[in-house]
Amino acid sequence: MIMQLSVGRTTYLRMSPRVQVWVPEIASKDLLSCVHTDEYLTNFIHGRVNEQDQKRTGFSWSEGLVSRCRYETGGTVLAAQVALQRGLACSTAGGTHHAFPGYGSGFCLINDLAVAAKYLMGNSSPKRKVLIVDLDVHQGDGTAFIFKEEPSVFTFSVHCGKNFPLRKQQSDLDVSVEDGLEDEEYLSIVEAHLPWLLETFRPDLVLYDAGVDPHQEDELGRLRLTDRGLYKRDLYVMKTMVSRGVPVAAVIGGGYSRDIDKLALRHSIVHRAATQVWREFGM
Amino acid sequence: MKRDDWSGVSGEDRVSQSEARWEKLKHNRLRCGIDGEMEEANVEDILDDWFIESLKTYKDLHVYQLEHPTQVIEWTSGKTVCVAGYGSSKNEVLELRLPLKLFANENKGLCAERDFKVVHGGFADGPVRCLRHVPGTRCIVTSDGLSSNLQVWDLGGDDSDVIRRTGSVKGRTTASEGVSRIAARPSSRPHILHGALSGDIQLTELTSGKTLYKLETDSADPLSSLQFVGDSVFLAGCRNGNIYVADTRTSSAPQLSPPPASSGESEPWWTDASAGPDPSSCRVIRLSLSGEAAVSDLRNPGAIVSRARLDVQTHCRCSSTDDVGLSLAPALDCIAVSGLGRAVQIYDTSVWRPEPQDALPLFEHRGHEVSSRQSDEGSVPALVTSHVWHPDRPRTLLSAAADGSVHVWDWVDRSAADAPAPGAK
Repeated sequence: MIMQLSVGRTTYLRMSPRVQVWVPEIASKDLLSCVHTDEYLTNFIHGRVNEQDQKRTGFSWSEGLVSRCRYETGGTVLAAQVALQRGLACSTAGGTHHAFPGYGSGFCLINDLAVAAKYLMGNSSPKRKVLIVDLDVHQGDGTAFIFKEEPSVFTFSVHCGKNFPLRKQQSDLDVSVEDGLEDEEYLSIVEAHLPWLLETFRPDLVLYDAGVDPHQEDELGRLRLTDRGLYKRDLYVMKTMVSRGVPVAAVIGGGYSRDIDKLALRHSIVHRAATQVWREFGM
Repeated sequence: MKRDDWSGVSGEDRVSQSEARWEKLKHNRLRCGIDGEMEEANVEDILDDWFIESLKTYKDLHVYQLEHPTQVIEWTSGKTVCVAGYGSSKNEVLELRLPLKLFANENKGLCAERDFKVVHGGFADGPVRCLRHVPGTRCIVTSDGLSSNLQVWDLGGDDSDVIRRTGSVKGRTTASEGVSRIAARPSSRPHILHGALSGDIQLTELTSGKTLYKLETDSADPLSSLQFVGDSVFLAGCRNGNIYVADTRTSSAPQLSPPPASSGESEPWWTDASAGPDPSSCRVIRLSLSGEAAVSDLRNPGAIVSRARLDVQTHCRCSSTDDVGLSLAPALDCIAVSGLGRAVQIYDTSVWRPEPQDALPLFEHRGHEVSSRQSDEGSVPALVTSHVWHPDRPRTLLSAAADGSVHVWDWVDRSAADAPAPGAK
C-alpha cells in the first residue's frame, strides 16, 4: 500500500497493516507551547540556557540535544495517535516526566507525555480523557504539576518514595513504595489500582510510562524488580487496557546503568510485552 | 539526602564561604511557573539538584542506614569495616561488608550486590567512642569514654557471626579523663598504644596485659589522636594543638611541638599523620576549630611546610568536638575534614604554600544532608560523625552521620572527566 505523508505536525499515516514501524516528525515549537512557556522554549531551542540550569537538568546544551528532545516528543505524540487508531503502540523513547512548563529537571527537558496528552485531549468539548500511568521509579512530578487543575487528564504515579525528586508534586493518585520492593508485591500494587481507575475515570486514551528503573540492577532505582517482573508488569498494564478496548501508548521511561547494552535490552521488555499482547488479541 | 552546638568558640563567628553559598542558593533560588508566578525554591529543590549533579560527581555512591548511628568506622579488611553505637546503654558492634558492586571494576551493572551486609555482630554494654582493629588479627579494641579501661573483642570468623568480648585492658588512671585514643600496628605479639591524656599513654601487650612502655611526661593534655607513624615511633595529637613524637623503644622524653601560632584565643586542634618506613615521607597535618590548617614534616613537626585557612563552618555551637575528623589521604595529596558542618570536605594540599591563604574544598560530600532530609520529618540533623579513607582506592571514603546513615563514595576526579552516560528520567 502506498504511504501518504501528511504535512504539518502530525505524522499519522495510512499504512499497510503489515507496517509496524513509524518514524516521527520533529515536534514543532507550536506543539510544544501547549505545555511549555514561550520563554523557556525560545531559550532552549536557541541555546540560551545558563550553566546552573544545565547542571540541574544533567545535560550540557547542544543542538543535537534539542533535536533529540523534539523528536522524542514527536515520537510520543505519534505513538498516542497510532494507539488511537490501532489500539496499541510503543515508542522507543519518551517518558521525560520531570520537565516543568518553565524549566527542565532530572534529564528531562520537554515533557513528552504532557505534550501528547494535551494535544490528543483536544480543545473541543467534551475533551478526550487521558490517563497517564507512570510506573517509572521516580514520581512524574512535572506531569503532575502540569495537569493538577485539568479534569480531563488523570495522573497516576507509582514511585519509590525515598528517591528523586525530594520535592514531590501531587498527582491525582500517588502510590509511594518503600525501597527494596520485589516483583510480586509491586505487581499487586499495580493490580490494586489500575482496574478501578479505568472503571471510574473511563479514559479514552492511556499513556503508559514503562520505566525500567524499578529494576534491581538500576543504579538509581532502589527497588528490586527482575526482568521477569518488569515483563509481567508491562504485560498486565497493556492487557488490562486492550481487553477493555482502551487505546494505550507506551514510552520507555527511565533507566540508569553504565552497561548500555543491558539497559537497552531492559528497555525492550515493553516492546516484547506489547508484541505478545498484539498477538494474543489478534490486533 | 539537619544543631551544631559547638561550645568554646571565642571571638567573632565566621561563616564559611561554601556554607554561605549553599545557604544563599537555598533561599534565593527562584523559578517561573506556567502562569509566570515566581515561587521560592526550598531545600528539597537544592537537594534534588545535588542528586542530579551527584551522578556526574561520584563514580560510586552507596548508602546504608544503621538502626543506631556510629561515631567510629574502622577497616578490618579491604572490604569490611566495623561500626558501633554510642548510646548510653547497650550498643551494637557490627562488622559490615561493603557492597560488592563497589569492587567490580567492569560490568558494574551486572553486579547486583550493591548493599552493605552485616557479616558479624555483637553488643557492647556502653557507648563505643573509639574503635581500633589490631592488624593481622580478628581482634578489635574499644573505648567507652567512661573510664580509661579498654574492651577487647574477637570479631569471629567463618564459623561464627558473633563478635564476642574477650577481655579488657587497664588504663593508667582509674577515673575517666575523656575518650581513650587507641593505636595499633602489625606485630607478632599484638599490642596497642592507648591513653586519654598525654601523661597516661602506654603500650600494652594484649595477650598478657603487660605494660611494655609508658610515655614519660609531666603534661596531662587531652588527646585528640594517637597513631603509629613507624614500627615503634608514634605521634600523639593533643586538643591544645601540641603534638608529641616518641619512640616506644626508649624512655627518652618525647619531642614536643606546640601548635602553629594563631591570632585567636586557644581553641581545639586535631591532628593526623601519615605512616611510612621513611620519616622523610611522613607528613603531619593539624587543623584548628577556626579552620587554620598546617602541614609539617614528621622529622621537624614544629616547622610549618605549608598552611591554609579552610572553608569550614565555624559559627555553629556544639556541646562536643569529639565528632570532628581530620585525615590525610593514603594515596593523594589531600585531606578530608568532617564534623565541622554537614559535609565531608576534601582539600588539595599540594597547592598550599608556606604563607597562609584561603582554601576552598576540592570536593564536598553532602550526601548525609540529602539522606537526612529524605527521612521522616523531625529526624536527627545530618552531622557527620566519622569518616575514613579506603586504604587502597585513592578517592574512596566512608562516612557516617548522626542520623545513622553510612555512605561509601568514590568522587570523580574532574580532570579525568569520567562521568557515566545518563539515562534516568
